[in-house]
Formats: sequence, structure tokens, C-alpha cells
Amino acid sequence: MPGRRLLHAVTGGGRLGLRARITLAFALGSLLLSALMAGSTFGVAREQLIRQRESAAVRTFLTNAGNVSAQTRTNDPSDIVAPELLSALGSPETSRPVFFFQGDWFSSVSGFGEDAVPESVRDRVEAGETVNMRYSYRGEPNLAIGVPLPDSDAAYFEIISLAELSDTLRSLGIILAGAALVTTAAGAGLGYSASRRALTPLSDVSEAAHSIAGGRLDTRLEAADDPDLAPLTASFNEMAAALEERIQRDARFASDVSHELRSPLMTLSASMEVLKTRRESLDERAQSAFDLLDADVTRFQNLVDDLLEISRFDSGSHFLDPDLVEATEVVLHAVGSWSEPVPVSYDEAAAEALIYADKRRIERIIANLLDNARLYGKGATGVTVEADDTRVRIIVEDEGPGVPADQRLLIFERFSRGAEAGRRSGDRGVGLGLALVAEHVALHEGAVWVENRPDGRPGARFVVELPREPT
Amino acid sequence: MPERSRDDHRRGPRRPASERADQPYSGVSAHFRSRSGNLGAVGTRILTVEDDERIRTAVKLALEDEGWDVIETATGEEALDAFEAEPADVVLIDIMLPGIDGFEVCRSIRKAGDVPIVMVTARADTHDVVAGLEAGADDYMTKPFAPKELSARIRALLRRSRTGDARVSQYHFGDLEILPDEGRVTLAGEEVHLTKTEFRLLVELAGNPGKVFSREVLLDRVWGYGYFGDGRLVDVHVRRLRTKIEADPANPRHVITVRGLGYKIVP
Repeated sequence: MPGRRLLHAVTGGGRLGLRARITLAFALGSLLLSALMAGSTFGVAREQLIRQRESAAVRTFLTNAGNVSAQTRTNDPSDIVAPELLSALGSPETSRPVFFFQGDWFSSVSGFGEDAVPESVRDRVEAGETVNMRYSYRGEPNLAIGVPLPDSDAAYFEIISLAELSDTLRSLGIILAGAALVTTAAGAGLGYSASRRALTPLSDVSEAAHSIAGGRLDTRLEAADDPDLAPLTASFNEMAAALEERIQRDARFASDVSHELRSPLMTLSASMEVLKTRRESLDERAQSAFDLLDADVTRFQNLVDDLLEISRFDSGSHFLDPDLVEATEVVLHAVGSWSEPVPVSYDEAAAEALIYADKRRIERIIANLLDNARLYGKGATGVTVEADDTRVRIIVEDEGPGVPADQRLLIFERFSRGAEAGRRSGDRGVGLGLALVAEHVALHEGAVWVENRPDGRPGARFVVELPREPT
Repeated sequence: MPERSRDDHRRGPRRPASERADQPYSGVSAHFRSRSGNLGAVGTRILTVEDDERIRTAVKLALEDEGWDVIETATGEEALDAFEAEPADVVLIDIMLPGIDGFEVCRSIRKAGDVPIVMVTARADTHDVVAGLEAGADDYMTKPFAPKELSARIRALLRRSRTGDARVSQYHFGDLEILPDEGRVTLAGEEVHLTKTEFRLLVELAGNPGKVFSREVLLDRVWGYGYFGDGRLVDVHVRRLRTKIEADPANPRHVITVRGLGYKIVP
């Protein structure tokens, strides 16, 4: 469709939205229609008006011409004083008579003499024709009518001004053009509101989809009365229900599997302990095998614990057991239980800061951050506690390779292990540590992120921010 | 529900531990006076209730290594029979049991006396933990646990003496009377039966009337746990205490909660 191609070109290759395109289409449509209507109205009106004017002018002309002709025929040529004759005509101001009599041109209005009559009219009248012609003289529209008076070797002309008509037409044209513009604007407005109403259901769908993507899997659209929209609503809700069920099933699966793993792990754990006390009585080979078992059983246990913890978050069966505690105290205890010594620093202001937090979750947060530093950052170099009026920050720094900017959100996702992903990790975790930190922090309505070290050295700086309780 | 009543031999006011020579705890109370680090090792009997055979066996092996004398049972019925025949010093109960569930076993054994009970749960979910504690358990462990850690906890439980470090011989709070030396509590003259844990908790609070004790402090003083102990232990034991010593447990007058801070006893 040529219209579409034009639209495409005008709108720069379809970068405009649906609403804009509908509005534009309505605007162009009403522009076209109103232009057409205005144009044709103008054309018809113009023709009518001009014809009317002309016929009126011709009638007057003929009367006058008849008058002049009578006079020139009856009287002796030498008795005729042309100017008197003309002034006796009593023509209206807008029709200016021009008289050609015995080789001379006479007119009653200055400036409207021989030159006012177009040459072609003069010639044709001279040839014996009755002519009327529209033309422009001195920038004004005029009608020249001429009739030969052969008996008297004369010719009678009238130059009738069409200026008034022209003004009238111009006004009409302006009005019609204005009306066309207004109609176009109205059309555009109509198109806009129509498109809005049509697209409202779409924005509802978009909102619902956004809500689902944000985790509220039970979001549904309200049933629509409109028969055109009902299929959309129905199919969307169907999709959402299927999605919710699938996700819940997956969450339950992870949870159920992890639970089933607890029993064999119990046996493993207890048996390992029994073997451990007898390790020295094993031969060297057996001892190596035992050590491997020991390490991986521990790792297995940690994995299952992490999986269970995260599936608790997923199923919503987690709970917060908070106390009003001193932030620095929790941090000191948590770092104190860590396998390696890590320096903790804080200033006086931070020493008094209180948080309403689940101590054990804070301990998990710090333990996971320290573990993360150990696995990927060559070990944590220090933990700092900072506080301002409304927030408390716990910072864990290391001097490892740091985290590149494009991975700073990714590392908090499940099973992400950065560059190590895919490689058998040996002593390393499975990538749930930071995801769990994020969940614990979210439960406390805090925030966690990673940034560069402020001193410019390579390494990562993990910041956990929690709301501060007033003392 | 077992037909026999566990209360049969518990009628009448409780006599202090030292007098009850015929009671199974006497062996244990002798240990209380000794401060040996190997407390509760040789001779101390643990009754385990676990239906998974391999777990049962592995745990028995590990605990016996630690020096405990393990009596293993596979069902609730077996456990109650074994306990009646020869009461143990500590009981370890898995919640998930066929037949009589672990909570029921716990309640029955708790009715019989003061023996320390540890629940073993697969989930650390509040529901299971709280249900276990309310059924009368003193503590809980989640599977999988390291038997060494279990040993440590049991030792702590056994170390918990009824008498505590009370400075005063009597406490009076309205109609509530606490006699720390005798290990007795009476409410309006009537004897109230508290477990060792509940008693210790009450004595701790009573020692400082009006002072607010945080859960952390109570966990340390009564259970011997460090900073990251489970506060729910305290919560549930306070609840249990209230059902026993308060006229209206829902609106306690003696042991009250100070929101966000902890508990205190009203002077």
C-alpha cells in the first residue's frame, strides 16, 4: 500500500509506537478528507460566485451597451460627446466603461482607458466578436466585457472589478482551510483517544506480565466482558497458571530431593566419625581414600544445606527470628567463628549502631561473604562496620582479582561461579553462597552489592546495607 | 496413644533429687557433683528412637565411641517399652516415626519425669521445632548432625543441675514460690512439676527480678549455647513455663515478654 510506505518513510522506519501510528493515520485520514471537502466546497462555491457575478455584470453591461448603441446610432456622430455619454450611463463604481468611438478611446475612470482593455479583447471585438474575459490588471482581478458597435464604428467595453469577489473568495478559502485544519486536529485527537482505549487492555496485560516476572506468580487478569478481549485474558491466565505450577513443582522437587538426601547423609556423617577415630589403623591407601571421602562428604553436606536453605526461600517457608542487636557485636561473633582470623574495624559511631536482625542469618551472610572471599578473592583482608543516621553497613574486602563491572549483578545469581563455572570446582562451592546472601539480606529489607576497593588496589569490596534502629 | 498411664508412679509431691534414691536420676545426680570433663560418659544410657536402620546403627556406633551406653529402638512403641523397663539418662527421638510419632513419644516420656530429651528433626522449620519443644523436648538437632556435636549437647544438658547458682533459698512472686535449693516450685501452695530446663530458666529470671534477659543471655546461662544459639528454644520454654505457673498463660503476670529485648520476671 502506497500509504503505508509513505507512513513508513515519514515516521523514520517504523520506530513510532502503535498509538502514534494510529493517531498519525487518523490525522492523515482526516486531513485528506477535510482537504478534499474544503477543496471541492471552495471550487464549487467559487465557480458559482464567479458565474453569478459575471452574469450580473453582463446584464448590466448589455443594458449599458444597448444604451450607448442607441445613442450612437440615432445621433449624428459629431454631436456625440463621448465623456458625457459615458457619465450619463450611471454605471456602478466597480464597472468602468471604456468607449472606442471614431478612433479615440474614452473612459470615465482615470487609469482605466485603452490600456486597461486587454489586447486580445480589443482585437476580437474589432473583429466583430462579443467577448468577455477575466484577466488581471494592476494586480487586481477584473472582468473585461466588450461589444462592437459596427454601425457606429465604435466599441463599448466595461472593466468590471472582481476585487470584492476575490476578497470574498479568499475569506472563504481561509475559512475552509481553517476548518480543514481543525478537522485534522480533531481527527488526530480522536485517533489518539481511540488508540488509548484500544490499547488499555494491552497495558493491563503488560502490567500483569511484569508482576509475574517479578515473582508474583499468582497474578491473573480479570475476566473481560468484551468478547474480543476475552480470549486474550483467558489465554494469559492459562499461561500464568501453567507457569506457576511448573515453577512450584520445580521448587518442590529441589526441596524434596534435598530432604531425601538428609537421611543418607546422616549415615555418612555418623559413619565417617566412627572411621575417623580409627584412621590411624588404616593403611596408607585406605587413609587417602578416607581423606577424600571426608572432604567430599563435608562438601556434599554443605551443598545439601545450601540447597535446602534456598528452597526454603523459594517455597516461602522461611521465617525471620529477629532481635534488637548491636551490629558490631554480631559481626565480631560471626567473624570470630570463622576458621581464619580476619581483622574487624569500626569507629565509635558504628559501635553504638543497633539493627533489628536475625543473628543467625547475619552470621550466615558474613560466613558466606568470608567464604566467597576465600574461594575467589584469595581470602578476606578485613571486615568493616560503618553507620550513619539511618543505615548500617557491613563491608568485606579482599585483595583478589575483583569482580568485573559486567558481572556484579550476575554473581548474586544461583549457581554462578564466574569464570570457574563448568570446571570441576574441587574445594570450591557450587555458586549458592552469594545467592543466599542476597536472600538473607532481602529478608532484612537491606541491600548488598560489590564495588571496587576505594584505595585503588585490586580486589572486591562487598557491602551489606541494613536499616539502622534508633537507640 | 499408649494405654498405660505414665503418671502412675508420679502421684504426690515431688521429692528432691537427693532423696529419690530409687529414681533413675540418682546416678546422674552423682555426676553433677563431680566436675569431670568426661561427664556423662561411661555408664550413661542414651535411648535412641530412629526407624531408619542404617542411621540407627551408624549413630549407635558413633555414640558408643564417645563412651555412651546406647539402647536403640526402631519405633515409638519399642521406645516406650524400653523406657519403662529401664529408664535411660537421655532420650534421643526422631520425629518421623511409623506408628506413634516422635511427638507422642516425647510427651509420654516427659510425663514420666525429667529426663533430658533431644528431638531429631529433618527440617529446621519452625513448625517441627516448636512442636517438638512444646511436646517436652529440651533441645533439637537437625539431620544430618555430627555425633560429636550431639555428645556435646547431651553433656551440657546433663550438666544442667536443678539447683543452679541461686543466692537466695526462696523467691516469692505473688502466689508463686520458688525454692532453688530444693528444686521445687509451688503455685498457691500446689506443687508445680517443671523440667530441669524450665526450672533453670525460672531461677535465672528470678535471680534478678525486673531485669530484662535477652534470649541470647538465657541461651548461654541455661543451655550453655554461644551467641548464635536458637532463640526459639527460649521462646518455647517460656511458653511452657507460662502454661505451668501462670493463671492465664495468654496474659502472663509473672514472666513477661519485653518486645524486641527479651524476658523478665515481675518483682
